[in-house]
Amino acid sequence: MSNSAIPSSTIPMEGSSVAEFSWEVRSPLDRALVAGPYGAQGDAGVALTEIRNFDLVQVMARRGKASEMAQAAQARFGVAAPETPKSIGTSDATLIWSGPDQFFVLSKGGKHSIEALAPGFAGSASLSDQSHARALISISGMKARTMLAKLSSIDLHPDVFGVGAAAATSMDHTSVTLWRGQDRGGQAVFNLLVFATFAESLWHTVLDSAAEYGVTISHSEEL
Amino acid sequence: MRIVCPFCGERELGEFTYLGDAKPQRPAADAGEEAVYDYVYLRDNIAGVMNEHWYHGAGCRAWLKVTRNTLTHEISAVEPAAGAGAAKVGA
Amino acid sequence: MKYSIFSLARAALSGHKNWKPTWRDAAPKDRYDVIIIGGGGHGLATAWFLASEFGIRNVAVLEKGWIGSGNAGRNTTIIRSNYGLPGNTGFYELSMKLWEKMEQDLNYNAMVSQRGVLNLYHSDAQRDAFARRGNTMRINGIDAELLDQAALRKMLPFLNFDHARFPVQGGLLQRRGGTARHDAVVWGYAHAASELGVDIIQNCEVTGFTRDANGTVTGVETSRGKIGAGKVGMAVAGSSSRVAAMAGLRLPIESHVLQAFVSEAIKPLIPGVMTFGAGHFYVSQSDKGGLVFGGDIDGYNSYAQRGNLPVMEDVCEGGMALIPMIGRVRLLRQWGGIMDMSMDGSPIIDKSPVDGLYINAGWCYGGFKATPGSGFVFAHLLARDESHKEAALFRLDRFQRGAMIDEKGQGAQPNLH
Repeated sequence: MSNSAIPSSTIPMEGSSVAEFSWEVRSPLDRALVAGPYGAQGDAGVALTEIRNFDLVQVMARRGKASEMAQAAQARFGVAAPETPKSIGTSDATLIWSGPDQFFVLSKGGKHSIEALAPGFAGSASLSDQSHARALISISGMKARTMLAKLSSIDLHPDVFGVGAAAATSMDHTSVTLWRGQDRGGQAVFNLLVFATFAESLWHTVLDSAAEYGVTISHSEEL
Repeated sequence: MRIVCPFCGERELGEFTYLGDAKPQRPAADAGEEAVYDYVYLRDNIAGVMNEHWYHGAGCRAWLKVTRNTLTHEISAVEPAAGAGAAKVGA
Repeated sequence: MKYSIFSLARAALSGHKNWKPTWRDAAPKDRYDVIIIGGGGHGLATAWFLASEFGIRNVAVLEKGWIGSGNAGRNTTIIRSNYGLPGNTGFYELSMKLWEKMEQDLNYNAMVSQRGVLNLYHSDAQRDAFARRGNTMRINGIDAELLDQAALRKMLPFLNFDHARFPVQGGLLQRRGGTARHDAVVWGYAHAASELGVDIIQNCEVTGFTRDANGTVTGVETSRGKIGAGKVGMAVAGSSSRVAAMAGLRLPIESHVLQAFVSEAIKPLIPGVMTFGAGHFYVSQSDKGGLVFGGDIDGYNSYAQRGNLPVMEDVCEGGMALIPMIGRVRLLRQWGGIMDMSMDGSPIIDKSPVDGLYINAGWCYGGFKATPGSGFVFAHLLARDESHKEAALFRLDRFQRGAMIDEKGQGAQPNLH
């Protein structure tokens, strides 16, 4: 459970409680995702794993403060933040380029939550907590690249889109942040960040595209 | 038509939104009706090479200044528009 | 020559070997009373109305390429008069009435087919807006019928009535709307105008205006030499800004590309013209069987007469949302035309600030259906120096006066309407 979630609250009104809202953290794909096999039978060509309960902070340089932001990032993460479309892994976070002078910090467990990052970037960057505003889908398998080619105009050939490559782009008219993580089991892993409210729509599109190859669907809390 | 975004690289047209001629400048508040009419309604509507504003909305969300030939759709230059990228331009 | 059953029989007896060209390809004279720049539907119609209605027969139509080679040959052939705003309602109905008698007037088969134009609605709010437009039409003596879903299910059972996002709830039908054969419209006006003495001069590009000491236009300079004129009218659609610039004018117009598409021929399916109310897609079926369809402008300035893939994808997605069964129909052809997009979506038919130069422009994506009406009111303006009452609001200075005719209510930019 992310520490930025508020477990519950009551709203007192005229001395009596009229409603009790439960602020429960749920994945935007909670309804749409059905774990297990999907589509063509046999060995699955595509594995879709939704990653849940992550911390995601967008860091955007204030006007004229890009170099100060870069220094703050270096101090915080021990590596330079990406200045071109790529992702950079640290021991406990991934920094993903999201536009000129801006990047995402993806992590778990609150160490790089917005509260934790705020002091270091004070004055140089504006921070925005996106932890509950995006869904994160990890796509792998023998047919992952073939399937993504139906949805994306980005060239995902390994010579062009290697480990660590990233892109701010669109799939099926939906804005996404796409980046290639570390290979797993000798296979490429593509990560997709999508706005929470568009996640279900894109999920169905991805399923339609992947069905012919056979899909294994799961969710995980491991980044 | 594809546009080579200076931040993202070559991208398909569907990721961009068009604003139009980059030349008109918003007149000063006291410039008078003629100047506002000219700015809002009149166009050079160039047949040939034109500087335009495009927005990479489905990508890095930067405003771009694109030099494009309206007769051929050939794009000869793309650069960040003033203000795109908080630090690099127009700081 | 006069076309009739007798001329057809005579030609048949001689094996159809002795047909004469239907209009005269003229060489320029030194001077005309009126020169029309642009040998499209609007220019040729203007010349014909000048000769037939206003007694001005010393007229030339100058065309840069061949007649009908611009938007007159690059449209989707729809005719209709289902407009709701003062200015548009009366004008387009004037045009529709002229369509209805055009073939007799011109002695030419333009294949005018009043097969109906249906605007579909997909929400209660859209139904109310269409009802209002239909009522406006009927108050002005124009036919309009608001159909509910049950009526449409009988008429067009293949529509995606229960689409989750855009259910088809009904439609506004104008039965007198329909299609006409675009090339035949051009050739018909050329035929009839030529019969009355109008010179149609092709491969004659206007390169400038000649003007007297007062700045009044006295003629044109062309690729075939100088030609003098009492008055010059321009009806050049997507080239309006370029021609006006030769007279030192800037117009409230941007030139944009609009694409259209034709599928392979299929059996008769679409009875009339149909428009999707929740996306950019409209369709009719040609006599040859092809689905003729289109959508919105590409959205960027262009003089290239060709568009790009995102709009093609968008239009096809609209078609699939409305008629899922066309998914396996193959696209045969696609083309682009250059639209003179005015800032409010309505045309400009007016004297220009330069004496002797008259403007007929700003037709956006609606020029074809206006062809006869545009020719008539422009001829009226050229002959009498005053606007016809049905074109009195199409003034060039309306943007300055804040008197725009914004049919869609979407604002003062071409990419908004």
